Amino acid sequence: MLNQGFMMSHVLFGVLGILCAVALFMDVLNAGEKNYQRIKILSLAVAVLIVISFLIGGYWYVTYYGAERDIIKAGAWPWAHNFFMEVKEHIFFAMLLLGIYLPIAVYKNTPLTNRKNKNLVLAICAMIILIGIFMEGAGGIISKGVTIGLRG
Amino acid sequence: MKKTNIKKNKNIQTAVIKNKTNMNKYSLGFGLSLVVTNLLNAVILVVKEVSSSVMNVMKAALGHHWTTHGVFLLFVFVILGVVFSIKGAGAKWDSRKLMYYISGSVIISVVIITVFFLPYLIA
Repeated sequence: MLNQGFMMSHVLFGVLGILCAVALFMDVLNAGEKNYQRIKILSLAVAVLIVISFLIGGYWYVTYYGAERDIIKAGAWPWAHNFFMEVKEHIFFAMLLLGIYLPIAVYKNTPLTNRKNKNLVLAICAMIILIGIFMEGAGGIISKGVTIGLRG
Repeated sequence: MKKTNIKKNKNIQTAVIKNKTNMNKYSLGFGLSLVVTNLLNAVILVVKEVSSSVMNVMKAALGHHWTTHGVFLLFVFVILGVVFSIKGAGAKWDSRKLMYYISGSVIISVVIITVFFLPYLIA
């Protein structure tokens, strides 16, 4: 049960981080004095949510994943671990670092009405969103790999 | 006469602003650190997967190779970020150049990681 709880909160915080990145992307597109405070809060929210997701997911991976990996590898979808989990766990570091850098880019790289500054933040948001979507898809495939492995 | 002088001064000010970098030193320093760390992520992955001795050292260091990998990357990111910020590395860079480098580093590391594990998917 604790295992499932950790897994669900890892996904929950990850999805919230992606959603905040989408909201931030839209806000930066329309950056101005009125929404600058919200942009700063959203950039911090993305960083915090991704870091929490990383800590919970990392703990779950190190503590619980070993047993599930064996099930996946013995099943019909061994590539769910051999490809998707391996790629996911390493590409996640890129997302984590982008997430941590995001508030630095927003707070220290002003004004965001400047096109170059705006494009930098937009590019970071876009990469977080794209990698995040891949994370969610890969997570789904890995879960399915466990289900198929249990069927035998 | 006065109007002409004011116009000249404005033009000079605009030229100075255009020539100046529009990036804060921390934004630039940690941005450069992000570029290096992203590439280092892919390099560490390949090295530890190819060399079993490196993999064993990483497992022994913090109990799991992935934990060591993550902690090391975060450590390098912070240290390089501080060093680049203090040293003023890339002082003439602007946000656009940094954006290209960050995007490029992410794309290169994602491609290296994906291609490295691709044979497992095809098999």
